[in-house]
Amino acid sequence: MPIIQTRELRKVFRSVKRTPGVAGTLKTLFSREYEEKVAVEGITMSLDAGELVGYIGPNGAGKSTTIKMLTGILVPTSGSVEVAGVVPYAKRRQNARNIGVVFGQRSQLYWDLPLVESFELLRAIYGIPAERYRRNMDHFTEILELGDFLRTPVRQLSLGQRMRGDFAAAMLHDPHVVFLDEPTIGLDVIAKEAIRTFIARVNADRGTTFILTTHDLADVERLCKRIVLIDNGRLIFDGPLERIRERYGTHRVLVVELSEAYPNFAIDGAEITGREGNVVRLRFDRKTITAEALIRRVTQSYGINDITLEEPELESIIRRIYVEGYDDASASVPAARA
Amino acid sequence: MTLREAAVPYVEFARKAFSREATYRMEVFTSIGSLLIRVYLLKMLWTALYAQNAAPAGVPLHAIITYSTVALLMSLILEVDGTRLIRDKVRDGTIATDLMKPISLPLYYFSDGFGQTVLHAFTIVPSLLLALLIVHVDVPPAPVLLAFVFSFALGYLVNFVVNFLMNAVAFWTLETFAIQISVRWISDLLSGQIVPLIFFPVFLQTVVLSLPFAAIYSTPLLIYVGTIRPDQYLAAFTIQFAWFVCFSALAVFVWQAAQRRVVVQGG
Repeated sequence: MPIIQTRELRKVFRSVKRTPGVAGTLKTLFSREYEEKVAVEGITMSLDAGELVGYIGPNGAGKSTTIKMLTGILVPTSGSVEVAGVVPYAKRRQNARNIGVVFGQRSQLYWDLPLVESFELLRAIYGIPAERYRRNMDHFTEILELGDFLRTPVRQLSLGQRMRGDFAAAMLHDPHVVFLDEPTIGLDVIAKEAIRTFIARVNADRGTTFILTTHDLADVERLCKRIVLIDNGRLIFDGPLERIRERYGTHRVLVVELSEAYPNFAIDGAEITGREGNVVRLRFDRKTITAEALIRRVTQSYGINDITLEEPELESIIRRIYVEGYDDASASVPAARA
Repeated sequence: MTLREAAVPYVEFARKAFSREATYRMEVFTSIGSLLIRVYLLKMLWTALYAQNAAPAGVPLHAIITYSTVALLMSLILEVDGTRLIRDKVRDGTIATDLMKPISLPLYYFSDGFGQTVLHAFTIVPSLLLALLIVHVDVPPAPVLLAFVFSFALGYLVNFVVNFLMNAVAFWTLETFAIQISVRWISDLLSGQIVPLIFFPVFLQTVVLSLPFAAIYSTPLLIYVGTIRPDQYLAAFTIQFAWFVCFSALAVFVWQAAQRRVVVQGG
């Protein structure tokens, strides 16, 4: 049985339509016109217990709105949602016992009090038995290395320390599902790695299900086997990361610096994707032409100063999917846009 | 889950609010300082007014000074707005994290406010002792004092729910300043905090005494100075309690509507 199940989940926000200018502002004060904005449009997905899924999409794609419906703080306009057998918005408090949440940009720790007091408060909130609390505290203190700053007021912690504290806070009550919203934002490389190791370890040791929302695709590459891509509130891809790599990862970019302008520069088997002065970017598919063959073609017809080969990064792949839509015929989900 | 277990988080919220407030020591000292200045100014004001006119409504000068001083001491507690948290949290979006906890938010805010109140209550004793250097305060017999404390507790509850309702408006408007300031002005005047309501013209008295604001300051204060007599206590308590029940019902309704329309800022 899946631990998270949504069917045709939809959320429409209604907001006051604003007219520009002073006259417009005065008008809004008295007569209000509403406009509707669809934030989430018919998302159906299902997650099994123990999965670690990357939930990816550009700003305003509807990621946060989905998460808020899963945590029970937003009521869906239509469609159904269930988390660990509970309908979140109908039973917010019961759902809250099953979930944990970490926001990279917003701490749930008590700002003015020592870190450990926030943990004690959470122990009271969730009614965590003394034995289990002690066990979890020992465990997290060890792997997150909290020992040095447990007694420090949260406002004096560094961002990396605070995030580690927030992770422990979200996990103390042994939630089944944990939502991570940009958990590594603003962290340095070492702190990022510490957080990623922690997530992977908890996922492996405790079988906790994680939904990771992030713009840092290095997080996703390191942690997630499966990704769910959304754009404009619609699901555009749901499947293994591998499939995206196979579909789009065969493209390479050859960057060539020409020795002179060559206004009619063109090469068979490669597409010019950018040109700045004498520097030309050529995209090619390594299934149709090897890099070696392409370089030979270029040097036969043109004089060149320099040449570099770029590997595709997940980030550029995903950027391409946002622009072009996902168009893999073999994918289970059809492309949202032509 | 037993009632005792269910109460644990809320007791903890109150304790945390207490420790949190205690970290702002300067604020505690300035609130005592400003109180003493107001005690002195009101003493001067009433003395000057009484020198010009006969005692209104049969209230002698020492009684009105007692009334004003006790009102100011009460304000140390009643001006703590525990539910201010709601407005702040709706505005900066942290209400989302609270909603992701298995707790009742109204009870959380009440406990937090109560924790703050307890800290401020500790300032009453030094404030009173210092105020006694400036003014003389009449002390009523023990039974009256007891009735005053009980009535004050009821007033505290009414005050909490009124504040809760005002701050809950933030769910719709995000901003509550205009409402707060208007209600504060009206309530300062109509609650009897500054001028006893029995000084109002007779036709107005009937109106203001039946408004909810009177239940906050006026009722306990009039019990303290003896204007409300022991045989009228029961009626006075009943009215205060009725306002509490009435506003609580409204608060439950508003809270449910608010939960249905959480608009979390940012994120």
